[in-house]
Amino acid sequence: MSSRIAKPVMHSAAWRISLWATLAFACGTMLVFVFLHRFVADDIQRRSDQWLSGEVEVLGDVAERTPKDALYGRVVGEVAELAGKEVPNRRLSDSSSNDSVFFLQTGDDGALKLWVGAGSGAPNLKAIRASRIVQDQPTDLRVPGFPVPFRVASMRIDDGSFIYLGLSERDELRVLRNLGLRFFFLWLLLVLLGFGIVFFTTRRMLSHVRQITEAASRIGHSDLHARVPTNRRNDEVSHLALTLNRMLDRIESSIHQLHTITDSLAHDLRSPLTAIRGKLETSLSAAEHGEQAEPIVSAIEELDRLTDFLNKSLDVAEAKADALRLNRVPVDLDELLRVMIDLYEPSMSEGGLQISLRSGGPLTIEADEALIHRMVANLFDNELKHLPAGCTVTIHLSNEDEAASLILEDDGPGFDAEVCPHLFERRVKGKESNGHGLGLAFVDAVARAHGGGVTAGNREEGGARIAVTLPMALRRNAGSPATAAQIGR
Amino acid sequence: MRLLLVEDEIDIQKFLLSSLEEAGYQVEAASDGKTAERLAIDGQFDILVVDLGLPDQDGISLILKLRQLGVRAPVLILSARRSVDDRVLGLEQGGDDYLTKPFALAELLARLRNLLKRNSPPGAEATRLRVLDLELDLLRREATRSGQILQLTPQEFVLLEYLCRNAGRVVTRSMILDRVWGMRIQPDTNVVDVHIYRLRGKVDGKGQQPLIRTLRGVGYVLKDR
Repeated sequence: MSSRIAKPVMHSAAWRISLWATLAFACGTMLVFVFLHRFVADDIQRRSDQWLSGEVEVLGDVAERTPKDALYGRVVGEVAELAGKEVPNRRLSDSSSNDSVFFLQTGDDGALKLWVGAGSGAPNLKAIRASRIVQDQPTDLRVPGFPVPFRVASMRIDDGSFIYLGLSERDELRVLRNLGLRFFFLWLLLVLLGFGIVFFTTRRMLSHVRQITEAASRIGHSDLHARVPTNRRNDEVSHLALTLNRMLDRIESSIHQLHTITDSLAHDLRSPLTAIRGKLETSLSAAEHGEQAEPIVSAIEELDRLTDFLNKSLDVAEAKADALRLNRVPVDLDELLRVMIDLYEPSMSEGGLQISLRSGGPLTIEADEALIHRMVANLFDNELKHLPAGCTVTIHLSNEDEAASLILEDDGPGFDAEVCPHLFERRVKGKESNGHGLGLAFVDAVARAHGGGVTAGNREEGGARIAVTLPMALRRNAGSPATAAQIGR
Repeated sequence: MRLLLVEDEIDIQKFLLSSLEEAGYQVEAASDGKTAERLAIDGQFDILVVDLGLPDQDGISLILKLRQLGVRAPVLILSARRSVDDRVLGLEQGGDDYLTKPFALAELLARLRNLLKRNSPPGAEATRLRVLDLELDLLRREATRSGQILQLTPQEFVLLEYLCRNAGRVVTRSMILDRVWGMRIQPDTNVVDVHIYRLRGKVDGKGQQPLIRTLRGVGYVLKDR
């Protein structure tokens, strides 16, 4: 029980369903965001490439047309610097030191001819030489000393020199990173929101299922009149409740039918039995001591046995259908066994048997006292009828995990091997038995009606062993404190 | 003693009628609830015997109706039903008694006597019981026969006390089980007989007149004559 109370919410079906649903949802939205991010990145790339290609063309044009005099470097440099200020996605704050753009011109010998940009330009040239820059097609270029690569467009001028315009990808990456970060937070928010919604909806839905389960388990044990709660919504859960209720209606009506049948059978048989017994008794009192008395007496005894058989058969039949009606009161098994042993002890010692009780003290259970009396009488009658003289019967009574355990052991011949597997069936009895074969079936019936059970078999040391388990109390609302604690209401 | 017998089975009604009359009751019989109602209101009955399965109504409804109409006599319920109805248990707590069919006549008579005794004003409870030369001291839990103390176990004393209280009348095995051991069971072994046998060994010594008699098929009787 305590383990169930401690059962965390993580073990609930609602949690699992929400987890899986959220996982699928997270994967889906993640894909969408990645795709969007890709799309935006490509677009930015395309725009900056366009700009680069356009600028390098303009610069090439300027470089070509400017006379190669002393002013050439200054003119081209100014133009290049101006172009650098028009860089797209540029951060305004660091406009003073422009290290995001460089312009480089090499002579036809490959030496640095003109440099506009941060630093000396030597590493840039080295990097350009190391990599192949295709004309008219902006390419990525990693330059030592710069954390982010440059996007470089090149152009060959008619005089055989090359001009290179490099644009740092720093700003582009910053924009993309910002976008990515925003996408991530948005995604996280969506996933959490999705999880929350799914979790609370499923839990709400499953709490109806839980209520139905609780109600159904209560109904199984106590009364068949109760029904599981239904709601007016027309969903699967309310269908489940309705189906369960219809099933309970059917079960209740079959149980009711069974009761009607057994009641009327009992009534129809008992009335003539009463009449016959009455007549026999009347004729017995008339016959009194005569020789005729003997057959009348044995007829009455047979009749009483028949009555007992009838009662037990009907009890067993009802118990097999889980329909035995109980009148539960607190019963101290220890006390009950002592009284019954007191009743049976003289007969046992007449038959050369010994009987002893090993009990851990008073043990009170909720049970139908009359049925328990009859059950124990059955067990004792069984021993009395089947044990040869000199045997010992030991009864152990103990409290085993919220259930009373009653164990009968003897050191007699034990059960016949061929009967052993069918001990609890009706009409099963040993070859030597003169009973009607209902004894253990009845014991089983009573134990089951109380929510317990019986096991029987032979002991290794020899002799028979019958163990009856009877729960201390009817388990009402089993599990509901746990689930209530779990939901935290 | 005027007794109203409400029983629809003619066979049972007939033998009960003759047996009860033989036992000294003035019996009127009814076969259905309506007749029973009419008879019960008109005649002053000391006790009622009512079968639960009546053709026109439920026996318990009849009893409740009679109670409302002011019939105060105790009722012995005869039931052929399987389980003891909660309502029957309720009536039992209210001072009435029930008996399941089939029953021994002796038991029916004993229960009727019990109901009548319960209903009569309580006299001073005797502390000593005396049957012929057998004497029981209920306070000291001691039994003597012709002045000789009998060595009885507490259980044997209770059994003997029960026999003495019903001296001269038949008690059945199930009556003994019910009254002495407090259980309604029908053992298929001779557990009660062995107790009686042992008790007889102690009560009826050698050379003494045997007091405890066995009536085979019926029960036992402690002779008072």
